[in-house]
Amino acid sequence: MNIIGSALEHYYGQEYILRGIDIEIKAGSFTAIIGESGSGKTTLLSILSTLLNPTLGSVTFDGKTIAEVGNIDTFRRHNIGFVFQFHYLISYLTLRENVALAALDETLIDPLMESLGIERLGGRYSDEVSGGERQRAAIARALINRPKIVFADEPTGNLDSKNALGVYELFKRFSDEGTGFVVASHDKKLAEYADTIIEMEDGIVKKIYQR
Amino acid sequence: MITPLKALRKNRFKTALIFMSMSVSISAIFLISAISGGVVSMYSAMLKTDGDIIVTQKGIADTFFSDINRSQMGSIAKMEGVKEVTALIFGAAPVDPLPIVGIYGVSENRFKSYALTQGSSPQMGEVMLGSKIYETLKHPKTILISKKKFVVSGVFKSKIGFEDGGVVMNVEDGGALFHKSASIFLITLSDLGKSDSLIKKINTLLPEGEAKTTDSFIDSYNQFKIIKTSSDVIGAMAFLMGILGIVSMMSMVVNDRKGEFGIMRSIGLSSRTIIFKLLSETLIIAVLAFAVAWGVSQGVLELIEHADKFQGYINGEITFTLLCNVFIVSVTMALLGTLLPAIYAARIDPMSLIQRGGA
Repeated sequence: MNIIGSALEHYYGQEYILRGIDIEIKAGSFTAIIGESGSGKTTLLSILSTLLNPTLGSVTFDGKTIAEVGNIDTFRRHNIGFVFQFHYLISYLTLRENVALAALDETLIDPLMESLGIERLGGRYSDEVSGGERQRAAIARALINRPKIVFADEPTGNLDSKNALGVYELFKRFSDEGTGFVVASHDKKLAEYADTIIEMEDGIVKKIYQR
Repeated sequence: MITPLKALRKNRFKTALIFMSMSVSISAIFLISAISGGVVSMYSAMLKTDGDIIVTQKGIADTFFSDINRSQMGSIAKMEGVKEVTALIFGAAPVDPLPIVGIYGVSENRFKSYALTQGSSPQMGEVMLGSKIYETLKHPKTILISKKKFVVSGVFKSKIGFEDGGVVMNVEDGGALFHKSASIFLITLSDLGKSDSLIKKINTLLPEGEAKTTDSFIDSYNQFKIIKTSSDVIGAMAFLMGILGIVSMMSMVVNDRKGEFGIMRSIGLSSRTIIFKLLSETLIIAVLAFAVAWGVSQGVLELIEHADKFQGYINGEITFTLLCNVFIVSVTMALLGTLLPAIYAARIDPMSLIQRGGA
């Protein structure tokens, strides 16, 4: 799914967060948005992922605006996956049930969990597994409906460097299989895995690198 | 089904609070409806015994305040289609040591309606006691009614709590005690089809009286209207209190689980799914609270029925109809109380997951 953001601006009151951003995310690409805290990367990711409406400007998904994609819940469920800094697994559900909560086709759960290396943890609860395993379960939940694109905001913010690299490698693997990824992070190691790196500073795009 | 149960178990403290709040509200509705319904049905049953038509003093549609002349009983009894006429006096007086007891002065032909368990029907200066008051007064040989002594001639058993906890005497003795000839006449018909024409004839014969079918009298009886209205108002208040309790507790639950509903929104679960999820959680609580409230109410009614203090006058009954009605009320209470918090949960902005920065 091609996503194009045009003349995006976002303000909180008088304070601008994003200013005049034009951006294109190509279908199946692995895009990293990097920058310091407060650079606007999370706001940009939120706008591109339909979670936030920009103050000015527009976003299109394969040429359609948000208003044209139909029911936003259905659109998200079929096309977009999310991974957050905090795993947000539902604590009273097992890892498998968390993935099943999002699944349109439950037969895909076990193969996906196996490919993420957490198949033996399906019956456990989130407080019974490690941080890295929790984040893998959250990634499984994001990938279960074979979305066209996955947005991840600081997905390794709570992980040690070994687990963080594991998460990037997973993203890269699924990206190579055709799923698009847009990952916002202040971790510069992310850049090693991405096809496109968008560097942000003070609400504007400072530089775009293509690999 | 498993998911709502797991959610309830996970949030067991708040689940318990909602459960208790609902149980109390539903018990209150059960009890007030059962007690008021019991009073009305007991009194109705008493009037309906041997009474297709009831005659009261004109303009006084109350059995206690009505005063009609017994001298016309004979003329009514001779009317075509009339099987029997009985006169009753309704009164209440202290029966030492009880501060207030229902006293019934009845014409002799009504004594056969009382199932005697010992002794005989009362003659002048005698009374028979309902089994409940007989036990409460510890098997007396004589009793003092308003300081006047009466010999206990017999004991009867009645399912009607007012009678079982009351004193029955001759209508003449009742008249002397309460200074009236009769409170009402109860008329049994041999042909129910003639009730309308008989009512007209009786009203012509007794210009100071007013005849009605017993059913229409019960429908228009002011005391019943007061009891029913009070019961409805108290029941409605309990219902509203129940809803408010659920709304406030569910609002807290939704606030605690904001992250959960935010993630549901972000993975594309529809608002309807989230609302349904929360409604199913409170419906489970409602069904359990209903069952517990039913059991508790039965226990309380049993205690009240056998408490000496109430002399058997309060005899609530949870009928099948009441059970069904309260079940519907319980479910409605749960649905209405959960709807607003559930709509709020379904509208939680997934952005809060990013902005909140914590699970």
